[in-house]
Amino acid sequence: MFYRTSGQFKTTYESDQALFPIKQDMVLLVVILAAMYVVFPMFASEFTYKALLVPVLIYSLASLGLNILTGYAGQLSLGTAGFMGVGAYACYKITTIFPEMNIIVALFLSGFFSAAVGVAFGLPSLRIKGFYLAIATLASQFFLVWLFEKWAWLYNYNASGAIEVRTMDIFGLVVTGPNASPMVQYYFVLGIVSVVTFAMINLTRGRYGRTWKAVRDMDIAAELVGINLMRAKLSAFAVSSYIVGIAGALMVFFWKGAAEPNLFDIPMSFQIVFIAIIGGLGSVMGNFLGAILIVALPVVLNLLPEMLGLSIGSATMEHVNVMVVGSLIIMFLIVEPHGLARFWALIREKLIIWPFPH
Amino acid sequence: MKHFTNLGKAVAAGALAVAMSTAAMAADGLNFPNLTYRTGPFAGTGTPIMNGQRDYMLMLNERDGGIGGVPIDYIECETGYNTNKGVECYEKTKGEALVTQPWSTGITLQVMPRTNVDRIPILAPGYGFSPMSDGDTFAWAFNPPVSYWDGAYMILDYIASGDMSSLKGKKIVLLHLDHPFGKEPIPLLEKLAEMHDFKLVPIPVGLKEMQNQSAQWLQIRRERPDNVVMWGWGAMNAGAITEAVKTRYPMENFIGIWWSGSDADLQNVGAKAKGYKSVSFNAPGNFPVLEDIRKHVVSKGNSEIKSEADMDTIFYQRGIIISMILAEAAKTAQDNFGEKNINAEQLRWGLENLDITAARLEELGMKGMTPPLKMACDNHTGHSGAWMLEWNGEEFVQASDLLTPNRELIKPLELEKAADYAKNNAPWPGRGDLACN
Repeated sequence: MFYRTSGQFKTTYESDQALFPIKQDMVLLVVILAAMYVVFPMFASEFTYKALLVPVLIYSLASLGLNILTGYAGQLSLGTAGFMGVGAYACYKITTIFPEMNIIVALFLSGFFSAAVGVAFGLPSLRIKGFYLAIATLASQFFLVWLFEKWAWLYNYNASGAIEVRTMDIFGLVVTGPNASPMVQYYFVLGIVSVVTFAMINLTRGRYGRTWKAVRDMDIAAELVGINLMRAKLSAFAVSSYIVGIAGALMVFFWKGAAEPNLFDIPMSFQIVFIAIIGGLGSVMGNFLGAILIVALPVVLNLLPEMLGLSIGSATMEHVNVMVVGSLIIMFLIVEPHGLARFWALIREKLIIWPFPH
Repeated sequence: MKHFTNLGKAVAAGALAVAMSTAAMAADGLNFPNLTYRTGPFAGTGTPIMNGQRDYMLMLNERDGGIGGVPIDYIECETGYNTNKGVECYEKTKGEALVTQPWSTGITLQVMPRTNVDRIPILAPGYGFSPMSDGDTFAWAFNPPVSYWDGAYMILDYIASGDMSSLKGKKIVLLHLDHPFGKEPIPLLEKLAEMHDFKLVPIPVGLKEMQNQSAQWLQIRRERPDNVVMWGWGAMNAGAITEAVKTRYPMENFIGIWWSGSDADLQNVGAKAKGYKSVSFNAPGNFPVLEDIRKHVVSKGNSEIKSEADMDTIFYQRGIIISMILAEAAKTAQDNFGEKNINAEQLRWGLENLDITAARLEELGMKGMTPPLKMACDNHTGHSGAWMLEWNGEEFVQASDLLTPNRELIKPLELEKAADYAKNNAPWPGRGDLACN
């Protein structure tokens, strides 16, 4: 009834290939964007920005990057956090070497460093596949964290061994450092995530996306139809690591404000793999759904007892939280092994024929 | 279309509920949040300290009705030593908080720049980083009663029996966690090694190899050092002590920093670790304050400790000292400003002007439990000194008189690193408009 697609005729190729060929999808997107850009900032407290909105966006972006590689091109990677670290450290070095540089430029430049490192560690993918490749990327994870710890030049020989973000502004508006308003930082992150997401939706629909999918589904067949495997795999590594690197730089500069090397250690890689898997591999929207489940849900669950007026010890709550989130993950994976994005697709299909299913 | 408007409403309501819940946390009394880690990989070391901190505050509420008659609203926010959770907890608690206790170097680094803007004092007792002592740079940060550099100096002072020149020609291994915390003493130790002509061999232990240190101990056996100094944390301590026992390293030459002196780490090896030492700013014993806690908190079943024997552990008693420092700072502020319900800025003043004399410690029932502590504008640590404790096979006993750091030597290094920090985080506000008196 609400999702009726009948009567929406496509008369041109352009309208048939539009990003959102169904009107209701478009409306839904506008509602979500309006909520993100207008409604949330009207109500959000500093806590909501710092603990919910900004982390969800940054993790979604990182997971989007991983999804390009794993979900679209089928190359398993466990080194996401390491590549995020490369982006963060590159952005830190760029902004300290060229202090006048606009942070947006620095951010997009730092992506190139992580892309280069990603391609370098992606080289083994030309020879090995599947779990073996996962182990190779795992090696990059260990190596990069070790490098962040040992190469003091990276953190400017800081006594604390960590990278710290100084105050920076864009045309007079303070965007990083302790004085930046969380709302400004939120809009900044939201803007970048929107742009990258839009670009990725288009990229994955286009020639590259189709090449990656062909490689994912059967690389020998892809090679036989004339796809250059090396180019396809390495471009997936490059694009993926580029996005992941930007996510890492955003994380340190617009959310945390400081980072130690072990922030970029394996637990975060796994967390992002979980987001991508639970959200749905080979989907753009799934990353956002997955991030909401993995990143935002525990925060909201922690607030629940207080909202209900219960007094539960914080540590007990943390244990309960881990159990609840863990069982939810298992439940979602049993109900829909293809992730939340597939779950939404099923709901949407049902809605389209509702209330008269065949 | 109704479907979408409902969705929008639900989303907006959800956001509103979250926004309100943080505002609804307002409570009366002195709001002292603590970013605890009773879960996660470091829970073993965290839990006893947090129990001590909590029980002292609860005891004050029960016995005295709080501080100066104002009840303490002691809140725990669980981080599991995770920096993401640390940000979340800081943002959640800061609305009403008079102080923030971040309890991890990583969280401290993240939170410290924000505390200048939010104007909340940050209390990092026995951790944080050493340059925090420079109150003119770190106006809102405090790390009483001693810093890691003080600790490093005191350990060497103990090894040298008070005469640093006797270290000449010796070889000292620093077995440290490969992490900002573990690397902290290196600049000072390197300087001392150069001054007194001993050989310093830093041996790092990665976060992933904390429990398996056979490679490190093989290296120690090969190096044959005169002493091993340990900067360990969490599972690393028990790993190192077990390995030292296994390789028959002479335990009396093995000295840890205060976080490497938890009873639990040594009980596994018991008598075999006899002679192991740890420098500590609290001495073990049966102090009157413990009686009060037993009477008002533990016997009423309000404590989270598993058995009363936990009260005798070094870490539990250290938690008490940490809470005592905070409570005394609140009292100092109350007395100075003549207000019972102090705000965060007044508590900052209280911390800066804290003077816990020997007489006051006796009043508190803590005579001999920790050295007298006096802070100042240019001294946010107090540098009150520490004792060497020795494991006698069953428990830690005090093994030295009060050791004190050589401030003339350490202070220039602190000022230099503090200036570096301010430069890296430019524009750093420094003391700003906060008067020093």
